[in-house]
Parts: sequence; structure tokens; C-alpha cells
Amino acid sequence: MQTPDQIDTIPADGLSIHGARLSRRGFLGTGGALVVALGLAADFARAEVSAQGASLNAAQPSSWIEIHPDSTITMRTGKCDFGQSSIYTAYRQIVAEELGVPLEAITTVIAGDTDRTPDGGGTFGLLRNASTNMRKAAAYTREAVLALAAQRWGVARSALTLRDGVVSGAGHSEKLGALVAGQDLHLAIPVEGKLTDFRGLVVTGNPPMKAVADYTIVGQAVKNPILRPKVSGQLPWVGDIKLPGMLHARTIHPATLGSTLIAAGKLDTAQFPKAKIVQLGNLLAVVSPDEWEAVQAAQAVAADTKWSEWKGLPTSEKLLDHLQHRVDWSAVPPTQGAKKGDVASVKGAKTHRASYFMPYFKHAPIGPSVSLGDVKPDGSVTVHTHSQNPQFLRMALAKMLGVGEDKVVVRTYAGPGHFGRSNGGNAGSEDEAVLLSRALGVPVRVQWMRHDDMGWSTQSSTAYADISIALDAQGRIASYQATHSGPPMQDDRPIGAILAGLPVIDPPTASNPSPIHTAKMGIADRWVYGAVEHVAETGRGTIQLGEKESLIKVGLRDHSMRTPVQFQQNFPREVAMSEAAMLAGKDALQFRIDHTDDPRVKAVLERLKLEAAWDTRPSPAPRTKGAKLLRGRGVSFMLRDNGYWACAATITVAPATGEVKVERMVLVSDPGIVVNPLQLKRQAQAGCLMGVSQALHEEVSFDEGAVTSLDWATYPILTAQEMPDLKIVLAPYAGAQIYGQGSESANALAAPAIAGAFLDATGKPVRRLPLRPDYVKAALKA
Amino acid sequence: MTTLSVNGVQREVKASPDTPLLYVLRGELDVMTPKFGCGLAQCGACSVLADGEEIRACITPISALEGKDVTTVDGLPARWAKQKGLTPDPERLHPVQQAWVDEQVPQCGICQFGMMIKVTELLEHNPKPSDADIKAALTTSGPSPHLCRCASYAAILDGAHRAAVLMAEGGAK
Repeated sequence: MQTPDQIDTIPADGLSIHGARLSRRGFLGTGGALVVALGLAADFARAEVSAQGASLNAAQPSSWIEIHPDSTITMRTGKCDFGQSSIYTAYRQIVAEELGVPLEAITTVIAGDTDRTPDGGGTFGLLRNASTNMRKAAAYTREAVLALAAQRWGVARSALTLRDGVVSGAGHSEKLGALVAGQDLHLAIPVEGKLTDFRGLVVTGNPPMKAVADYTIVGQAVKNPILRPKVSGQLPWVGDIKLPGMLHARTIHPATLGSTLIAAGKLDTAQFPKAKIVQLGNLLAVVSPDEWEAVQAAQAVAADTKWSEWKGLPTSEKLLDHLQHRVDWSAVPPTQGAKKGDVASVKGAKTHRASYFMPYFKHAPIGPSVSLGDVKPDGSVTVHTHSQNPQFLRMALAKMLGVGEDKVVVRTYAGPGHFGRSNGGNAGSEDEAVLLSRALGVPVRVQWMRHDDMGWSTQSSTAYADISIALDAQGRIASYQATHSGPPMQDDRPIGAILAGLPVIDPPTASNPSPIHTAKMGIADRWVYGAVEHVAETGRGTIQLGEKESLIKVGLRDHSMRTPVQFQQNFPREVAMSEAAMLAGKDALQFRIDHTDDPRVKAVLERLKLEAAWDTRPSPAPRTKGAKLLRGRGVSFMLRDNGYWACAATITVAPATGEVKVERMVLVSDPGIVVNPLQLKRQAQAGCLMGVSQALHEEVSFDEGAVTSLDWATYPILTAQEMPDLKIVLAPYAGAQIYGQGSESANALAAPAIAGAFLDATGKPVRRLPLRPDYVKAALKA
Repeated sequence: MTTLSVNGVQREVKASPDTPLLYVLRGELDVMTPKFGCGLAQCGACSVLADGEEIRACITPISALEGKDVTTVDGLPARWAKQKGLTPDPERLHPVQQAWVDEQVPQCGICQFGMMIKVTELLEHNPKPSDADIKAALTTSGPSPHLCRCASYAAILDGAHRAAVLMAEGGAK
């Protein structure tokens, strides 16, 4: 029997694989593997030493993809799962497809943990940019395996193929595992970027990719393998992790978003014998080995704690007035969106001009933020949490503690979806857990209570828009002008670090060099009505409300949430389109088709017309005399990440009570290549209903000092009983070359479609969210 | 000491009698499927069955549960095996859990422990519920609606109907 070293002839400096490099570190008696690791330029490797530290070390044979001798495969990604399932379904499908192995061969997915995954970056755009890393790593690996086999068999690489986990050609055939068995193979692939940056590392180069026409695994309705352990209770959740000697903590947050601590309340040690107070600047907490004691003791101490008074917020009732009349929008440079022609030159026959308003929304996960911090005497830090960007969180924790990033490890677990809130690292409690653990010398689990999560997390920021649409004599849009104004959407400062007075990254400002952390208002909503000749869109930004005035520089901190910024810009545009159609005496859906020059926009809207059995006619809907319920239908459109989405809503309005009921929602999507129709459908169904929730119920209320939406009674969301009929149609265009993306568009489409239906039902516009009875009645009176 | 029957096992509990069941299950007994959501009986993430009736573990003191059989999602397979006289099989899920896998119900899944408890309660009383029955069970039958922030309600309805079929067939794989 020949040993691999007798038959393989890999040169000492390795084999070049389309810019990647395959080398063999040695031969192993048993086992063996091909591992795909980071290839780093010399300068880059030096710069990365501190960040890599406790991560998979780029200089070691660590991996994105590991092929084992039994032909099973482990894949690793720094992205996490928030219920989308993509890393367990779509990512496995993409890797299996590109590599040429059965889906079942990928038996293990390691995700998120900063010490066990290679790439970092935030969990967003999972199929847009993020999947490219895995796809390229798989393509490089496939090419390396083919090169290895070609060397072994002394045949041309072009004569070989890798299919179903078997390399064959030129009279040879061998399983993947058998090719790597007994060897320590190392494939270094080219990357750029910084591990702990917001976007993490990016795999570069152009390995040959499988032709889309040859796909057999991408496109399958693959089930999510994580669901069985989830529903059986076997999968540990973030709040379930326990460590020996662990204390339970409840933090006591300030009375307002601007208060400082005057005096911590007294702890009744007779009543709570095991509890202890910890104070770090303005960060106050009660800990106990008994969780229920910690809850009760914190409640008692909180009631007795004195905070300074602070009033620096406009109140939610006066929010729109504040944005329109009290914010200095000139302090932050404006941004330009779509611009063509000369809107100022257009004199329309009729003009629609209106302001639209979006309140603050809460991400409002069902489980409040919970983390377990573990700071060891040697200064090493581990935090067990649920984050959308663990490497960026690691950076923030190291900065807060003043230690090297190599000292910090972030481990991630299943947890409650929070829809963008932690894509910049923290969801809320991580830094508090770490600071308390450092102070006490034992592991500390911080569980936020519902009111902490509602009152002290970030929110999706408010916005308003002024829209002006001029119609020509034929009722076509002659010009479109929009100004979108609002606070920023990406404050990634950990709250515990702020309260404790420790270093944090900068809040969003006009001069913040990080593009994602700017206070400038970018135009996120893609202009899709290309037949309009004169268009001008402007964005106006400001800093977060109350931040400058707050004694602790907090105020209303904002963070991206499903289609951030685009949600706030698409609602005004799409409702204004429906209003302009009514003003023109045209059907709202046909009006949109008539103003687009993009065949994919047109195709999706035509399909919606069919699927929704749309009755083409101008608004308002014909009324039955004496009817107590008015019924109407509305339409909305969104282009996001190359995904084309349209929605039709049917609603009833009861003018006497102001109650709106959503009867039916129909969504049509052309997202490009559908990787997994089953999971996309489930995401779109849920996203659409979450959008209905935002449309009907959601608004963060706040007084002059604090958020007053503190539980599910004061921040209601959609219930099962309010669920409308729901139809999801996936209609990818033939010849799509890009993976489907933008399923969160389903969220954003509901509100403008429902507002359009309201206009159709009543003949009156509703230009703000939510459509709750008091606002509806006001809209009907206007 | 309080004695609790949890998932068919008698457990001695040291916590004081006024301690809410949720903290005892998770802290003292290591029964982790009931989740902390609100602590206010407003969401249903902590739901368990007490003598077959859905209650909120976050507000129910253990003193109120002496002599009652508490079932969490961890205990659903054994509950089903006992009801049907099946031999224990660690691979077998309760039909509601199996339906949740078959229909790919959860998004993030934190609410689903309570949803599965509520649907189990419903199906034990009403083996063939309509959409309206399921919606009512999830919305108006308890102290508060069972809330899902991911809004996976359409999948939950599919799951409940599938579970009804599996239960009628007499078992899950």
C-alpha cells in the first residue's frame, strides 16, 4: 500500500489555487484534514496580532471549512442566528453547492463565537455580502481538492470534477475524505479588512464559481436542523448558561435618561441576607446567588435610590412639532438622494404636498437582554451572550476595560430576536455583566427586567418627511421632491460603560469617521419610478434627541431595526404615491406601473395585481350607504438589496371607533435566486405580520425625561387574533444571478400598504403611524 | 421545604413558598424551557401546565402548586407517552413539538415554549380546533395574549393543525 507522501507531490512552497495557497504541514498516522484558513499579507498579519489573539489564529491551520477523513465537513462563520435560520440552512446549501458535496455532509456549523470563527462582521445582509465569504471559501476549497487529486493521479486538473463529495475523472474516483486522509493540509485564502471592525474580514480574489444553471442544492426547501433541539429543549439559550459561583445581578438604571446618581438606596440585609449592592459611577446593581432575592432586593433598593432630576426630551406627544420647529437641521450637512432634471422648473397642473411622520419603535425582543460575564484574575474576559456582531462587541468590551482585544472572548447562544439592535455589538447587558464580574471577582449574570429592556435599550429612530408631487395635465407625475429628516440610527455605545464613566466609541455625529456611525441622513430608499423626469431627494440629519443635554450623554439612543432608515423613507414615499394617484384619478397600483421603467418592478406589480385579485379603479372605494365599516385596499413597493417586493393590504375602518382591522395581506417578491423557499416564506410571513404590528400598534411613548413604554401594556404588539389572511408569492425573475435578499422588506411594506388601504376606504390620508384609534379619528376629522 | 411534582418527578424545593415557580424551575431544578419574558404575566414565554391548565410561572408562587402536576416543554414527551401508554423513547417528541419541527414554526423561538404549552392545553380539550379556536386560545384564554415578536403566528397556526393530525393518528415518530 502506498502512503500519501509517496504519491502526492505538493511543492515545498505549496500549490497556487487561484490566488489561495495549498500546503501540507505534514502527514499524520491517522485522521488528517484539509482546513481552510485565513491568508494574510505580512503587514496585515502584524496589524492583526492583537485582535486575532484569542480568535482562530490566522497563522495556524484553523478553518472556515474543515474536511474530515470520513468526508464530513465543519463550517464556521462569525455570523449568528436570530431566527432567520440562514446560517444553518442557506449557508450550508451555498457551501455544499459550491464545494460539490451533499448537504448532509456539512454536519457541524460553528457560529458567532469570537475564538472559534474566522471572519467577524455583523449579522445582517446574510445573503447579500455576508454569504460571499462562505461561498468563496468553498470555491477555493473545491479547487484545492481538485488540484490535490490531479497531483496524486498525475492527470490534468481540468479532467476532474467534484460532485456529491466524490472527485472523479480520467479513470479515477475517490471520496473527498479519502483524498485528505492522513495529511495535515492547509489552504490559506486571501482576505482583507479587520476582524473586529464593524464589517469584519472579507474574502477576496475570484475563484471560479459554479454556474447558477447547474445548481441542485441552492433552491431546495431545506429544513432548519436547529429547530428540533430548540423545541425539545436540548439547545442552551443565552439565559440558561450557569457557571460555578455565579451571582445573579439586577441593574438599577437611572430615573431618567439624563440623571446622575445622588445616593444609592439602602439594602435591608435582614430581609435580603445574601444580597449585595455594587456601585460603579452611575452604574448601580444588586447581586445575589439567589435570583429571586436579587429581583426583590433590587426593587427595594431602586425605590430608595435618589437620582438627579432631568428634563431634556420633547415628549412623544410633541415629537413631530419638535422635529419640525425646534431641531437645527443645518448643523449636520445634508445628503443627496436621487436627483434628475430640475424640480424647481416644474409647474404642475395639480400638486400633492404633505408631511409624514414615523414615531420611535422598539425592537422589543420577547426576552429582555441577558448576559453572563466572567472576568478571571489573570484579566481574561469571557462574556456569554446573544449578539449580532460578536467581534465588534469584543472590540467595545476591550476598549471599555482598557485591555487588549486578545483578552476578550465573546461566546454566543440562541436568544430572542432583536432585529438589528445588536448588529453593532451590544444588545444591552453585556458590558454590565463584565463590569460587575470584574468588580466582584466571580461570574455575574445580568438579566434585564422588562422595564430595563424597554426603557434603557436603543430604539429605532423617529423621522418625518416633506413630500411634494406635481402632476401634469394628464395626471402623470411631473416632478417628485422629498426631504427626509431624522436622528441617526446607529449608537453602538454600551450603556453600562457610559454609566460607569468608562471609554466607549463615539456616538453618531456629523464628523464620526465611521460611515455607519454618522449623524448624516443617507437616502436608503431606492428610487424605482424611473419614468419621472424631475426628481430630488434630500436627507437631513441631527444628533440623537436629548443626548447633548443629558448629564450622562444618553438621551434617546437609537439603533437600526429591520430596513433601518428605508422603513422611515419608504412609508412617506409610498403613501404619497397612493395619494398622488387619487389626486390624479388613477388606480394606485397601475399608477406605480405607469411610472416605472424597470421591468422587474413592473413584473412584480403585475403579479401582485393577479395574486391579490386587485380591482383596478381610482380611490376612494365606492361606499355602501350607511355602512358602519369602510373597506379599502392599498399597495406598496420596496426595492432593497436587489430584492423587489410588493404588497397589497385589505383593511376595514370603523369610523365611529377609529378601529382598523387588517383582513388580508398579499406579498409578491422577486428577490433574485431563492436559496431556500421554505425558510424565505416563513421569514416573509412573520416579517409581514411584524410590519402589521408596527402599522397598527407601535409607538414609543416618553415624557420629558424617560421612556414610558415599559411593558406590553404600554407598548402593545400584534396578537394571534389580529392575524389577517396572508399570502406570500415568491416570483424570482428568470436568469437571476444574485442570492435572494431583503426578506425584511416584508416588514416595511405593511405600513404603507395599510395606509394606502385607509386612504382607499375613507378618502382621507393617514400620514403617521401607528393607525391606532385616536390617531385614526384625528385623521378622519382633518 | 415545598414538594413539587415537575414533569412526573417529585422534587423537594428549598426556596421560600412565595417564590414564583419560574425562578425555582430555572434556578433550583434546572428545568430551563420556561423562559423569562416579562415577569408580569403579559407575554406567555414562561407558561407551564399545572394539572393540564396553562399558567404563568413568572407570577405563580410555588405554594399554589403543591399537589399539582407541573409540566414544562421538557416534560411533554413523557406526558404524551403516559397518556398513550407508549414505551419511553428518548427520540420521540410530543406531537406538538414534532409538528413545530415539521412545519418549521419557530423564528427565534423564545415564545414557542409557551406557545407549545398553550397549544397542548388546547388540543387536550379540543382535538380538532378551527383557526378561530387556535387564535382565541393564544389570545383571550389566558391572563394575557401569548406574544410572538417575530410574529410567527401563521406558522403557529400551521403547527397547531399539524399537531392535531399527529395526535389523532396516535403518535409522533
